[in-house]
Amino acid sequence: MFAEAQSIVAEDEKKHGSGPWVGAALPRKEEDRLLRGRGKFADDIKLREMLYLRFVRSPYAHARIVSVDTSAAEALPGVVCAITGKEIVAQTQPFIQIGPDQAQKIRDFPMAVGKVLYQGEPVAAVVAESSSLADDAAELVQVEYEPLEPVVEVEQALTDRSILHEEAGTNRVWNGVWEYGDVERAFKEAAYVVDIDRLHFHRFSSTPLENNVVIAEWNPKDDRIYYWCNNSFPAFAIQFLAAHLGIHIDKIRVQTFDIGGSFGIKITSYPQMAVCALASKKAGGRPIKWVETRSEHMVSSAHGNERTFRNTRVALDKNGVITAIDSRHIDDCGAYPRYEPLGCVIWSQVFCGVYRFKNARIDFWQAVTNKCPVGPNRGYSRMQHLWFLERVVDICAHEIGIAPDTMRLRNYIRPEEFPYTTPNGCVYDSGNYPKMLEVAKYLIGWDDWKKKQAEARKEGRMLGIGIGTTLDSGTNNFGQSQIINPYAPFSGNSQGANCKLDIYGEVVVAVGSCPQGQGHETTAAQVVADVLNIHPDLITVRTGFDTERNVHTGMSGTYASQFAVSGLSAVHGAAQKLKTEMKRLAAFILGTKEDDLEFGVGQQGPEIKAKSSGKSINYWGLANIVNVNSAVLPPELYDVTLNCRYVWRAPFKVPDTKTKYGSLTLTYASQLHIAIVEVDRETFVPKILDYVAVDDCGTVINPPIVEGQVYGATAHGIGAALMETCVYDAVGNMLTSTFSDYTPITSMNIPKIKYGHTTTPSPHSYSGAKGMGEGGAAPVHTISAALQDALFSQGIFIDDSFNNADSIFRSLKHREGGQLAQLVKLEKRS
Amino acid sequence: MYPRSFHYHRAGSLEEAVSMLGQLGEGAKFLAGGQSLIPLLKLRFANPEHLVDLNFIPGTSFIKEDSGALHFGAMTRHAEIEHSALARKIPVLHDCAAGIADVQVRNRGTIGGSLAEADPSGDWTNALITLDTIVHCLGPSGARTIQLRDFIKDAYTTALAHDELVTEVEVKIPPQGSGGAYLAFKRSAPVYPSASAAVQLTLAGDVCQDAAIALGCVGLTAIRATEAETALRGNSLSDKTIATAAEAARAAADPQTDMRGSAEYKRQLVVALVKRAIQIAVRRARGEQVEGAHLYA
Ligand SMILES: Cc1cc2nc3c(=O)[nH]c(=O)nc-3n(C[C@H](O)[C@H](O)[C@H](O)COP(=O)(O)OP(=O)(O)OC[C@H]3O[C@@H](n4cnc5c(N)ncnc54)[C@H](O)[C@@H]3O)c2cc1C
Repeated sequence: MFAEAQSIVAEDEKKHGSGPWVGAALPRKEEDRLLRGRGKFADDIKLREMLYLRFVRSPYAHARIVSVDTSAAEALPGVVCAITGKEIVAQTQPFIQIGPDQAQKIRDFPMAVGKVLYQGEPVAAVVAESSSLADDAAELVQVEYEPLEPVVEVEQALTDRSILHEEAGTNRVWNGVWEYGDVERAFKEAAYVVDIDRLHFHRFSSTPLENNVVIAEWNPKDDRIYYWCNNSFPAFAIQFLAAHLGIHIDKIRVQTFDIGGSFGIKITSYPQMAVCALASKKAGGRPIKWVETRSEHMVSSAHGNERTFRNTRVALDKNGVITAIDSRHIDDCGAYPRYEPLGCVIWSQVFCGVYRFKNARIDFWQAVTNKCPVGPNRGYSRMQHLWFLERVVDICAHEIGIAPDTMRLRNYIRPEEFPYTTPNGCVYDSGNYPKMLEVAKYLIGWDDWKKKQAEARKEGRMLGIGIGTTLDSGTNNFGQSQIINPYAPFSGNSQGANCKLDIYGEVVVAVGSCPQGQGHETTAAQVVADVLNIHPDLITVRTGFDTERNVHTGMSGTYASQFAVSGLSAVHGAAQKLKTEMKRLAAFILGTKEDDLEFGVGQQGPEIKAKSSGKSINYWGLANIVNVNSAVLPPELYDVTLNCRYVWRAPFKVPDTKTKYGSLTLTYASQLHIAIVEVDRETFVPKILDYVAVDDCGTVINPPIVEGQVYGATAHGIGAALMETCVYDAVGNMLTSTFSDYTPITSMNIPKIKYGHTTTPSPHSYSGAKGMGEGGAAPVHTISAALQDALFSQGIFIDDSFNNADSIFRSLKHREGGQLAQLVKLEKRS
Repeated sequence: MYPRSFHYHRAGSLEEAVSMLGQLGEGAKFLAGGQSLIPLLKLRFANPEHLVDLNFIPGTSFIKEDSGALHFGAMTRHAEIEHSALARKIPVLHDCAAGIADVQVRNRGTIGGSLAEADPSGDWTNALITLDTIVHCLGPSGARTIQLRDFIKDAYTTALAHDELVTEVEVKIPPQGSGGAYLAFKRSAPVYPSASAAVQLTLAGDVCQDAAIALGCVGLTAIRATEAETALRGNSLSDKTIATAAEAARAAADPQTDMRGSAEYKRQLVVALVKRAIQIAVRRARGEQVEGAHLYA
């Protein structure tokens, strides 16, 4: 078994036996633990006197709460207490709102107060000695509701006929216009103008294997709150929690462990974290555990955001080169904006996608609706926009009659134009999209498929070839929050790391990240191994987040495709700092100059050697002197601690908030996928016949980890394109609250994926690496494109990011019946 | 989420199970593979006070051939049928067993439990209704046998009394020259089909002597598409005949719009599934080995 894998690894070990380790296909350090079921997850933690919390949730999408009666629940033996929204309001401040003006007035508490705003919103919680008792008690809580008119559609929300947050007086959360170049003129001079009435990017989610888990203890002895949880952006969560709970931030300790996937969804678990802390306080400081069920996760954790594109107009020259885009985009953020108003700007990191157009006007809106709040979800806010641009490109190509690959080549930013400044001032570090297209075409056998497609079409078969080109922008400039709200006190980006020689000389690294499968233990060890010239196995990487390690910054966590840049730059900086100290110390001990020293491994383990004398000191010796034998140190070395914290900062400026101009992200990994999709003429099942994913994330630190992320993102995207959608009915009931209805993708639905990569190193990171992992939802764009290609001759435009056999069947049927409104208009000017 | 608390009883024999249930009364239920019951308990949609576990009763899981019929013990797991060479004597049974949900469900779920559950989307009733199927039951007043078509009364409703058990399922082996197929369309492996079709044909040369066609998940119980059957009977099976039969099946279906598909799409699926099932059935009737393949989104 695994003979091939073994030989590959052995081959790699040979090649990289003595480094450099960055770039080596090193098996993941965490693999053994995780694959054997020895991972340590939040739910594995059991504490003395622990209690269990269960939420009581609203069956209504929009209703006034007339009364909440917890007495029967509290009377049940084994129930310790119950907690309601009223009590929470009395003890806390509403959560910080990021949005400006009216949106600032939204009063967001972790439990419904007075009104429920989405199905599944917590209205009370019960705390009991066992989780099944908590379930029993939750059933006994009596809540009386008075239903209100639900608002399910975002455009309906914008009419303000039924208002969710009365204190804000409007459902609108945000509105702003991005305008660059000379849009009017471009339209005047255009050879073609294409109008697209409405496009829609659907709401879907991530379904991590592990749901949200919180254990909280508000200890009355030291008045501190201890969290053991799986939040994936703890540095952000504690800022919200401290302000909400009115407690000094240093009094909150958060620890995370192995995390079974987040994809961004676990960033917004801070409301539940708040409830658990308050419940612990009420229960006299006993630890409270809340383990989210799958059904709860589906209705009330966070969904990805949903975007509608209205009245899009595209100007093109006679060659199909896009010269301007004018469009109105509306985000539906669900019941509470929380993290989300940031989604109103994050898309503009990829303002022009991979294309060269300079003139554009995007009028961007966001509104609340009676649906689950949305949160960052793999590809957050950029994928919606990239899908929009890819739809524009494909629709225009088909309308004008230019092959979609030619259309792209005419519009792509050219390789020689990098670093490329976008109309809104973002700097694309590097890239080569035509080359990626070439590699992808080669891998899929483009010419062959073109021939097969021509034959298939003769037989009346619906076979399409689709291209999706996307960007995965990583390491963002939090200054973009000031475009949303000029008073937002955030900008730049940073990550902290610590590298030390412990008392017995062990190399120990800690980072402020909380990985969920991204292999940080391995890549961090690779980076340090190269700095110290030792094997990565000799390096211990402390994984999981812990405020008490004191390495984190306010932006620490694992999100937004950035660890390879922010995390590893911090690790690299800390390792360099440690190396500098080790050199100074070794030069003194060995009585030589620093440039005479050589790092390596000797008979007594990792050591530093004087080349001239051959004398050496091992790591234990160095650590011994500093930690427990310091009388031998001269005063000029008293500052050496061999315990080095380094904070890496991204070189950003605050963007100009008026013109919405500035650099918003540091690196731009790119993805180019090609899919061959055939729609069956009887079942209308869109079947993927062939699939290629080409990735470019600059210098690759660990090839199998990158490849794994690509497969994961591809599977996730195929699921989103064809299977996964969060459906609400007209009154706001969520119809996809179980896996039987939501049908997350399984291995049976994933075609064989051909993987390829190109490498354009980033000039913006020390290693040339770019952040990656989110993957820009490339399959969503690619499959939409392939379906467009398959169905264009039937008069179908793909106007939604979600398509399945049923929806394809219905649009074909309605097209035949003449029931489809005209979505696209082409105006040809001579 | 966790079920409400309940009492657990382990029966040592079928007779004991029946008498336990009688004594425990309306609040008691049998537990077989648990693949329908446990999810309901977990969501607290079903809240029995007592469960009588059938899993430890010896001799309830078997596959035997006897006097021209295959006999399945009620506790025979879907996976055992999937992997049984004997069960392949009736290809529809293999098609059905191999396509139920995923490995985990097939390893636990039982044929007896499926029939007793009478889920309108369940695969077994739909596949078996095209065959000569007899359900053996045991109640307080003794054993009886019921034809499957009389056993299924309505959605989730059977002819069983509260304390009556399914003990065995008997399926007559179709004659020489007969072939069948069972096909379902599923959005993903571990979910019930959006629609399914079972076909059993008997050919004499090119002419269809007899036909049974059933449609699953498109009504409150499996629907026999009698007009589709009539369209085949006595005719040679040209593409046109098959298409006529498939269209008749479309008309017979009575689906609801839900997350598994819109009603109009399910009707379309019925057409495609019936056509394909007929084509496979014909080839099998002619003695060809054809692997049935369910359709997935
Ligand atoms: C995720 C998932 C997906 C599924 N997908 C499918 C699918 O695609 N197709 C499909 O057909 N099924 C599917 N099932 C259901 C599965 O096949 C069940 O096993 C089956 O429906 C019931 O059999 P069981 O042995 O599990 O019965 P149980 O769940 O134990 O019992 C079901 C009911 O029958 C009663 N009962 C059980 N045995 C007897 C008996 N011998 N006599 C009298 N009453 C009895 C019980 O009291 C109970 O009311 C799925 C199940 C799951 C969990």
